[in-house]
Amino acid sequence: MIRLRDITYHYPRATTPALDKLSLEVPAGQLCAVIGANGSGKSTLCYALAGFVPHFYRGQLSGHIEVAGIDVAQSSLAEIAGTVGLVFSNPFNQITGARFTVHDEIAFGMENMGVPPDEMRARIDEVLRFAGLTDLADRSPFALSGGQQQRLAIVSVLVMRPKVIILDEPTSQLDPVGSKEVFAVLRDLAAAGESTIILAEHKLEWVAVFADRVLVLQDGRLVADGPPREILTGDNLHDWGLEPTRYTQVARSALNAGRRDNGEALPATLEAAVEYFR
Amino acid sequence: MSTPFSLFIPRDSGMHRLHPLTKLTLVGFCLVGGLFFPGIWLTYIAFLVIILPLAAWGRILRPFLSAVIKTTLPFAVSLVLVQGLFWPGGTPVLELGPLSFKEEGLIFAARGTGRILMIVSSFLLLTFTTRADELMLTLSQKGVPDNIAYIMLTTLQIVPRFQSKANTILDAQRSRGLETEGNLLTRARALLPLIQPLLLGSIVDIEERAIALEVRAFGRRGSKTTLLVLHDTTWQRVMRWLLVLATLAVLAWRIYLWLEPRIQG
Amino acid sequence: MERLKRDFNTISLAMIPVAIAINIAIGQIVYALKIPLYLDSVGTVFVGAVAGPWVGALTGLLSNLVWGLSGLNPAYTPYAPVAAIIGLLAGFFSQWGWFKVWWKAILAGVITGLAAALLSAPITAYVYGGITGAGTDLITAVFRNFGLGIVPSAFAQGVSSDPLDKAISFFIVWLIIQGLPARFLDRFSRAEDVR
Repeated sequence: MIRLRDITYHYPRATTPALDKLSLEVPAGQLCAVIGANGSGKSTLCYALAGFVPHFYRGQLSGHIEVAGIDVAQSSLAEIAGTVGLVFSNPFNQITGARFTVHDEIAFGMENMGVPPDEMRARIDEVLRFAGLTDLADRSPFALSGGQQQRLAIVSVLVMRPKVIILDEPTSQLDPVGSKEVFAVLRDLAAAGESTIILAEHKLEWVAVFADRVLVLQDGRLVADGPPREILTGDNLHDWGLEPTRYTQVARSALNAGRRDNGEALPATLEAAVEYFR
Repeated sequence: MSTPFSLFIPRDSGMHRLHPLTKLTLVGFCLVGGLFFPGIWLTYIAFLVIILPLAAWGRILRPFLSAVIKTTLPFAVSLVLVQGLFWPGGTPVLELGPLSFKEEGLIFAARGTGRILMIVSSFLLLTFTTRADELMLTLSQKGVPDNIAYIMLTTLQIVPRFQSKANTILDAQRSRGLETEGNLLTRARALLPLIQPLLLGSIVDIEERAIALEVRAFGRRGSKTTLLVLHDTTWQRVMRWLLVLATLAVLAWRIYLWLEPRIQG
Repeated sequence: MERLKRDFNTISLAMIPVAIAINIAIGQIVYALKIPLYLDSVGTVFVGAVAGPWVGALTGLLSNLVWGLSGLNPAYTPYAPVAAIIGLLAGFFSQWGWFKVWWKAILAGVITGLAAALLSAPITAYVYGGITGAGTDLITAVFRNFGLGIVPSAFAQGVSSDPLDKAISFFIVWLIIQGLPARFLDRFSRAEDVR
């Protein structure tokens, strides 16, 4: 579904590359988390997959990016829209502003794609239920909380039935309540398994819960690629500028205190930690 | 529907249910009538006989009248005072201290007020009874690019945020010692530290909103559909044609009046 | 034609509502601070400068319509062509490099203000009987007293406020452009014209 070959990208006027000879393949239906320290290239990767690098941000891109069969660097943003969806961290800036209710806001993308009205209404109802926004359908999008607005942003993209959904730190500007709401939606999205999802995230405990695969970026390079438990409990996290989850930390201190066997796999999530300490 | 930054008042009325194109045609007729009706009193008559009853039908009579008066009164006052008192070479008819009202000036003021009344009130009638998105859809259907519609609707929704952002910045600067009272120079100097944050704070927002619009296929060239449906009726179509004919008739009448003395000579 | 298409890119589109909102916000602050100016087209001038004359003209036109639709000042609508001209001229002056130097920007503002006064006068005269309903009508009264016609009096009234108002607006836009990060300025189609 996604294929990157030797991607190198420089922002305009930049001397160091934001992405450095990155190669990657993601099969359909996978939820692939991208983690890394600030400046490691997570956002740049997200924008590259959605075509905004280089169409929007300009700069120099070399290499080959293919997403859902589209050569993203060669196609226009209009051609990419509908097949690839992007959600970013600021919930307010994802409200188009052209519609007065949550219901109509969701319709906006489909209207631009020429979806017939009956089909639009059906999809909107479905997606409102999916994200728990049915009661808010007649509210103004500007009157929603951050978590509600971000859920709205996700379903507004989801309703266009994209093959790939990219989320660039969707909870970084939300409070804990909002973050939880958004992660609930992401979890359901992952469980449905219909789209391929790329999730750039900082909150590693969540990544551990529903990612099928974790990619680690450092200075624009792919430095690790594997199942969540393996990556998140490994010893290299600090080298990559990351902190392990508190579950891992607690387990590791138990291990270091000699209260646990060296052979057992360390946990990264709450469930795994419960199992570990049983 | 909550768009705080518009005059629209939702009501269950026939006026509200009219197709926006019908109301736009009416505004067009009132614009031409206001500008080209001969004499003084036709505009007032049109206001009383056409516009006021429509406002009543729309159940917005009180807020409508209040808006009409608020908008028209300053002009009326200025007209009477400036053109009434200072009409060069005019016939004095009423003393006001060292000055006097001139007959020609007062007639001019009466005509001018009627003109403003008819034009402004018809426009207010439209905005009080028409939803902005229905108005924009009508324009889009008539060929106005939908970028324009997008801009208008978005602006109406984001202006209140900007107003409060501006006030917040003003208060924050005040608490940091920015002087906003005092002589003109002091007050003027208060302006710049206000404008930069307003614009700079918007920069990332503008970029991200542009990205969000692209993600939602706004840049797509193909045919688009709409969820919003406008209802039109035959008698409205007939009314619109009658209004267009009436508008042309007014123009023709005016041209005739202008040509007549020249033809005689 | 190619340049025109680039002028109307998505960034310009997303910028126009912000520019209009800034027009309104600044105009209202100026009024609240009781400064005897309008300064209600700073956003329009900015868009004209960085996105070209036609986008600037569109911004001015739509800004004017928003003033009317929103109920802020429905009597403003007949001046739509004037608002458009301001954006248009800002764009042309920018194209000729006048925004690169501070005093050229101010001069551009003065000229634009004169053009605005010139274009407003017949509108004021024909639609509003030569007055604006504001304090500056005193100036109109003075000129009428001297026997000047309605249109010239309206023009005199305009000349007393527009050139100064636009000169300051253009200068403010020059200042803002100087303070913008390069990364953002590059986003606009006419970035090379202004800095």
